[in-house]
Amino acid sequence: MTTQPTLRVAGDTHVGKVRTTNEDSMIVDPQRGLYVVLDGMGGANAGDIASQTARDAIREFVTQRRLTMEPKALLEASIQYGSAAVFNAAQEVRERHGMGTTVVACLIVDAKRAIVAHVGDSRAYLLRHGRLQSLTRDHTIVEELVERGVLPPEEAERHPYKNVLSRNLGAKPETRVDVFELEVKPGDRLLLCSDGLYGYASAEAMQYLLGSGDPPESVARDLIDLALRGGGGDNITTIVLEAPQPPPSSSEVVRTSGANAWWQRRARFLQVAKERGITKNPICRALPPEEALDLVALSLFQAIFHDLEKSTGVNVWTFAQNIAGGWFERGGKWEALRGLMDILAMSARTVVDEVRAGDVQLGFLLDIAVSRALVVAELALGGLLAERLRQVDGDLIQLHTALQETIDIGGLEAAAGEASADVDISFTGDVPFTDEATIPFMRPDRVITNPGISAELLGAIEKTLTIARARTSPRAELVKQVLTSLQTIATDDSGNFASAVLAARELWGVRAVDDASIMQLFDALDSARIITASSVHQISVPDAVRAKVLAAISAAHQRLVGATTGLVLEAVAPYSERLKDAQTKTGELRDKVARAERKRAELERKFANTIDQSQPWEKRGATEW
Amino acid sequence: MSLARAYEALRPKILQRLLELRSTLDPSLGRLDEDTARAQIGAVLDHVGTFITSGDLGQHRAFLHTFLAMRAAEAQTPAQVLAMLVAIGDTASQVAQEENTDAEGAELTLMLTRVTAATARAINDLIADELERRLAQMQELQKGQPRT
Repeated sequence: MTTQPTLRVAGDTHVGKVRTTNEDSMIVDPQRGLYVVLDGMGGANAGDIASQTARDAIREFVTQRRLTMEPKALLEASIQYGSAAVFNAAQEVRERHGMGTTVVACLIVDAKRAIVAHVGDSRAYLLRHGRLQSLTRDHTIVEELVERGVLPPEEAERHPYKNVLSRNLGAKPETRVDVFELEVKPGDRLLLCSDGLYGYASAEAMQYLLGSGDPPESVARDLIDLALRGGGGDNITTIVLEAPQPPPSSSEVVRTSGANAWWQRRARFLQVAKERGITKNPICRALPPEEALDLVALSLFQAIFHDLEKSTGVNVWTFAQNIAGGWFERGGKWEALRGLMDILAMSARTVVDEVRAGDVQLGFLLDIAVSRALVVAELALGGLLAERLRQVDGDLIQLHTALQETIDIGGLEAAAGEASADVDISFTGDVPFTDEATIPFMRPDRVITNPGISAELLGAIEKTLTIARARTSPRAELVKQVLTSLQTIATDDSGNFASAVLAARELWGVRAVDDASIMQLFDALDSARIITASSVHQISVPDAVRAKVLAAISAAHQRLVGATTGLVLEAVAPYSERLKDAQTKTGELRDKVARAERKRAELERKFANTIDQSQPWEKRGATEW
Repeated sequence: MSLARAYEALRPKILQRLLELRSTLDPSLGRLDEDTARAQIGAVLDHVGTFITSGDLGQHRAFLHTFLAMRAAEAQTPAQVLAMLVAIGDTASQVAQEENTDAEGAELTLMLTRVTAATARAINDLIADELERRLAQMQELQKGQPRT
C-alpha cells in the first residue's frame, strides 16, 4: 500500500481462475496522483502487450506534461497518446493486429478534485455515505443501442453482444474518451476495476466490502477474493482510493471513547453512590444494600452507558420513568426521589470529573453528554409529576364541587325553613314564579311563597290528581308522569323551586333538542293541565277548597312549565350561540353578495359601453366572460 | 465573568436560532408573532445570563416559579413549560458548541448544559411542591374542612 498526503490508496490484480495470463495492467502512482486500470484484449499474448503499452504511454505522457497542461486535458490527451501507442505497436507486428485495451483512469488534482476518464468497459465506482454508484457507462455496442433508444434497458443484460466493445484504445490511433471532473468529499471511496471484478461479483457485495471501513489494501484484496469466489472467469484488477475521513464529530467521540471511559468506571460509580448513602434512601431501604446498588445505581449507570453509545436519552428516560412511576404508585414522597436522583447525579459527576482529570477533551464531552442524560431523566420525572398534578387537580375540582353542592342545598333548605317560620303569606297562586328565564333556576335568594298546606287541601289535591291519572290513556305515559310531578310540586310544603326543577329534570330525561322531542313534552304538560282542570270538579269538597286546589295545581303547573322552559333554554344555549354566529356570518355574506352584484352591474354597464351596439352580433367580437 | 461575557456575545445568535425554531420548541410560541416571541424567549435568555453571572439558585427558582405561573395562565401545563425551557437550554448550548470551538466556548457549552439541568431540576421541585399543596388541600376537603 502507498500513501499520498491526501489519500489512502491500494491496488491489486489477479489472473483469475480460468486465464493463464493476466492481460490487465495498472498504474498506482501517488506522486503524480495517477491511478489507472487497463484491460487488454487480442490473441497470442497481445492483450497484455496492449495494456502494458498503453499503461507506459499514459504514464510517460502525464509525467512529461503534468506541469504544463490543465488536468482534464492532460488525462484525456494521455489516453489518446496511449491509444496511438497501442495502434502503432499493433501495426509493427502482424500477430498483434487488432489488439487493444480498455482504460479507466483517475488523476487526483487536489484534496477536493479528481479527473476520471475511461474508454471501454473498465469501470469507476464511487462509494459515498455507504452507497455505491457507478461513475462510468460501459462503451459496448449494447449500451450504445440502449442510449440511442434502440434497445430497451431490460434486454441489454441478455443481449448476445453485451460484451462487445464499441470503443477501445488501439483499434484506431484516436479514440473518444469520456472524461469528467469529480468533487471528492471526505470519506469518499473510489474504485477502479476491470470487468473481471464486476462480472463475477454483485454490486451489493462490492458495496458491502467498500463500505466495511477496512483499509484500502484489504478492500482491494477482498474484492479480488470476491470475484474469485464468483468464478474468477477473467483477470481481475482493483484500485481503491480513499479520501481522508472527516475528523470524528463530538458525538462519535462520546459514542466510542466516552462510552468506554464511562463503562470502565462503573465500580467507582457504585462506590461513590454507596458512600453518598444511596442504600439508605427510602426507595432502596427495603432492599439489601448490594441489591439496591445493582437495581438502582447500576441500572442508571448502564442506562447512561447505552445512551452514550447511541448519543440519545431513551434509556435514561425509561429508567427514570420506571423508578419514579413505581415509587409514586406506592404513594412515595417526592423528597425521596429527589434525594435518590441527586445521589446518582453527584456520583455521575464524580466519575466525569475523574475522566476529565485524565483527558480534558474527553472529560468535557462526557460531562456534556452525562449532563444531558440527567436532563432527560428530569424531563421524564417532570412528565410524571405533571400528570399526577393534573389528576389531583381533577379530583380536587370534583371533591370541591360535591362539597359546594352539599353546602348550597343545605343552606337553601335552612333558608326555606326560616322563611316558612317568619313569613306568613297566603298561597294565592298569583305569585310570579318566573321573573325571567334565568339559568339556573334554583336561586337561594328566591322568596319562599308557600307557608304550608292544610291536610284538607293536601287530600283534595291528591284526589284530583288520582282522578286525572285514571282519566288518562294508559299509553300516555308522559302525561301520567306530568301529573305525578304536579302532585309532588303542589304538595311540597317547602314552597321553593327545587321540587319543580327536580321534577322538570326527571321529565326531561335524555331528550334530543328538536321540535318533535320538545313539543311532545309541552303537549303532555298541556294535556295534564286540561285533565286536572276538569278533574278538580269531580272531587267532593267545598268550593273554597276546590278553588284552592285549582290554584295550587295551576301554580305547580306554571312552575313545572317554567322549569322545563329553563331546561330547554339551557339545552339550546350552545345552539343559540351558533345561531348568532351563523346570523352574523349570513349578514356578512349578504353584504358580500350585494357588493358582488353591484360590481357585476357595473361591469355589465362597462361592457355594454365598450361594445359597438351598432354592429351586428357576429362582429362585436368575443369577450372573456 | 468571562463566561458571562461570552454568553452575552453569543446571545443574539442564540435568540435568532430560537426564533427560527420556536414553532418546534413550543406550539404556543410558534403561534406568537416574532416581536412577542422575541420578548418571551428574551426574558428566559436574560435570566440565564443572570444565573450564569450570579449562580444564585434561589433567584433562579423564583424566576422559574413566576414563569411557570405565567405560562399556566396561558393554559400551558408544567410538563410543556419544562420541555420548552429544556429545548431553549439545549438550543443555547448547541449554538455555543457550534460557534465557539476554543476552550472558552467549550466551557460555555458545558455551563449552559448545566444551567439547563439545574432548570429542569428546579422546575420539577416546583411542580412537586405544588402537588404537595394540592394533596394537602384534598386531605382537608375530605375531612370536611375546606380552605377559604
